[in-house]
Amino acid sequence: MGTQVKDVIIKPDAPSSLLLDKHADYIAAYGSKKDDYEYTLSEYLRMSGIYWGLTVMDLMAQLPRMNRPEIVDFIKSCQHECGGLSASIGHDPHLLYTLSAVQILCLYDSVDALDVDKVVEYIKGLQQEDGSFAGDKWGEIDTRFSFCAVATLALLGKMDKINVDKAVEFILSCMNFDGGFGCRPGSESHAGQIYCCAGFLSLTGQLHQVNADLLGWWLCERQLPSGGLNGRPEKLPDVCYSWWVLASLKIIGRIHWIDKAKLRSFILACQDEETGGFADRPGDMVDPFHTLFGIAGLSLLGDEQIKPVNPVLCMPEDVLQRVRLQPDILS
Amino acid sequence: MAESEEEVDVLVQRVVKDITNAFKRNPNIDEIGVIPCPEARYNRSPIVLVENKLGVESWCVKFLLPYVHNKLLLYRQRKHWLEREALADITCTLLLLNPDFTTAWNVRKELLQCGVLNPEKDLYLGQLALTKFPKSPETWIHRRWVLQQILGQCSAADRSKKPQQGEAERGEAERGDAERGDAERGDAERGDAERSQQLSEHLARTLHQEMKVCSDAACRYPSNYNAWSHRIWVLQHMGQGNVKVLHDELSSMRLWVSMHVSDHSGFHYRQFLLKALITELSQTPASTSSPQQRCSTAPSSSSRLHHSQANGELSEAEAAADEEWQLSANTVLQLFHQEMELCSDLIQSFPGHETLWSHRRHVFYLWHHWRKEQQQKGSTNGESRSEVLSSNGDPAPPTLSAHSSAGGGGGVNGQGHAAEAMEVDGASLPDPRDSKRLKTGVLPPSPPALPSEPSFVSGFLDGCCNPEQRRFALAYKKWLDTVIGQQP
Repeated sequence: MGTQVKDVIIKPDAPSSLLLDKHADYIAAYGSKKDDYEYTLSEYLRMSGIYWGLTVMDLMAQLPRMNRPEIVDFIKSCQHECGGLSASIGHDPHLLYTLSAVQILCLYDSVDALDVDKVVEYIKGLQQEDGSFAGDKWGEIDTRFSFCAVATLALLGKMDKINVDKAVEFILSCMNFDGGFGCRPGSESHAGQIYCCAGFLSLTGQLHQVNADLLGWWLCERQLPSGGLNGRPEKLPDVCYSWWVLASLKIIGRIHWIDKAKLRSFILACQDEETGGFADRPGDMVDPFHTLFGIAGLSLLGDEQIKPVNPVLCMPEDVLQRVRLQPDILS
Repeated sequence: MAESEEEVDVLVQRVVKDITNAFKRNPNIDEIGVIPCPEARYNRSPIVLVENKLGVESWCVKFLLPYVHNKLLLYRQRKHWLEREALADITCTLLLLNPDFTTAWNVRKELLQCGVLNPEKDLYLGQLALTKFPKSPETWIHRRWVLQQILGQCSAADRSKKPQQGEAERGEAERGDAERGDAERGDAERGDAERSQQLSEHLARTLHQEMKVCSDAACRYPSNYNAWSHRIWVLQHMGQGNVKVLHDELSSMRLWVSMHVSDHSGFHYRQFLLKALITELSQTPASTSSPQQRCSTAPSSSSRLHHSQANGELSEAEAAADEEWQLSANTVLQLFHQEMELCSDLIQSFPGHETLWSHRRHVFYLWHHWRKEQQQKGSTNGESRSEVLSSNGDPAPPTLSAHSSAGGGGGVNGQGHAAEAMEVDGASLPDPRDSKRLKTGVLPPSPPALPSEPSFVSGFLDGCCNPEQRRFALAYKKWLDTVIGQQP
């Protein structure tokens, strides 16, 4: 009986060199075409979309091509009475978009465009008794939101405003037998959640609590024969999971455990030679989300045409130096 | 075709109304979808209702979505007023087209809080959205919020002897009018008992329905993380300490996982059930806290333990606890044994599936830890308990009857096998004769101990023609050696 391995086959004519100019043009043009239907479909995550686009432009040293005043004004108008930020004007505030907004303002060195004290109050108010964080006032709990909370506070230099010990306790309660983490206690390990939890433990100085060998093992098993990485067993490889797994390995000091050259060829094969940008897998439609994680992944793999990226916050290292933030990395 | 702003306005308002009317005409719509249709044909509505399926013709979506989207955002910015009914209709249309629009769900939460919408209807809307978007994170998040509201109402109604009229009605939305009239005529005490019975039935029904919604979404999208983690959340919040629900889930999942051998999330759910059951069954009297009885349909083993302690003398209580412990240990052993056997069957029948090997790791890990824990308890709790654990520390039952070896053979879809296990379980059959039968020796063989795993693996390393199977077997062997082998 033949088993179909869930993987892709990279064609011999797939792109094998980095098309930086094409990607910069793709992102620069993306914001200007506001097709009504597509635009409304994704407006609920607009703030994160802008973070993806601007970060990848900065990593390619192309940030000046974007409209800074317009973007800063937009962000200002997304801050609500409660202090939190929404994805776009008229939407409700949420931790996810609060982090994206603060990340963008760090790229632009203009965090003071916001009422920072109110942002901190908002985050503080979302911490629960068990240390976890709700994503917004409606109370959904997820380890992703714990990451959003501490990442935002770390960028603002206000980590002392929350109960860090309790927050750590909650994250550790989501650790599984395979060394990974899920969204809540008892949930399945998932590369995206692992990235958030590893990043959280790095920002809170608690990486020694991770079983790095065990977690590293699970993460390495995500690499498929094509070189790409998946997010869970028997899922297809994907450029965004390649970033989350690779960044997690970097944080726990085990990046040398995977085949870097093969991963690089997988990521390069996900470029679209005509339009620019990266897709989730070779031959699929490109988008800004996968374009950021493709470029960031190549940066972590050591590509010198791209600025060094920080594995914890997915931002250029020079920006983090400016805000004097150096998250822990295991060696 | 409508192009001018005014024409779009008229068109969209008609379509939103058509959708609302479709739900009125057929309250049993069970699936939604987009009908590929690039241009409007004839002069008919783009909303098509065939039996229980609601379709929208694709040409109108590009008008419909931006219109309802902008209308809601204008309302949110207080630039445009909308009546509550209009808000309910617009968010319904919007969420069926774009269920990850968080703010639209939030508007519905507010409508729910002021009683314009009812929780069951919103669960139904989410269920429909999941037929087209089975992963949609925001839809699952909204469901959890709605379920919390239902739980809150139930516990509030449970706490107060005389609940507010409105609250009781909302909490018992599915009760018939005749029943409600009955309860009002009855005396206060009987009314209370009835009410709490109805509440627990209502919660049991809600729980059952949630499991069905999760199953449907899991079938529509493989390894659906959001669906399976929601299912876990539901058990943690609505079925805590309920051994019967855990058993029923485990037994109904057996066929499902056998037919979805690549679905890592489905297998993880099984691991969660196994772990939860073992935790329930292994609770010692000292560490037992009263489980949530409100929505339990069967007493859990731990609550019976409490009962026996309270009624008997000390020595009797001790004997009862020992008997209870042995009964639980045997049930746990049976569970492990059956799970390892199911896993072996599946690995042999479907070679080259990482999910199955990963499941094996988890089950073996659970068993390894459970055994260690029992050893420690055995050494602190005296003679009677250590007899279940043989001298080398492996759980070896004292006697094996012919019956037990007959239970060894289950096939891939061994439903009969699973059902048999349920019968032997003391928790789902609290009849004392059954526990006696169990105690006097109808015991399962022990699950494979550490030395037998390498031999299981070597079978795949020898003449195995499937390279993937070989790779996974090697990784499993390495995992056993390093992760299990290095543990104290």
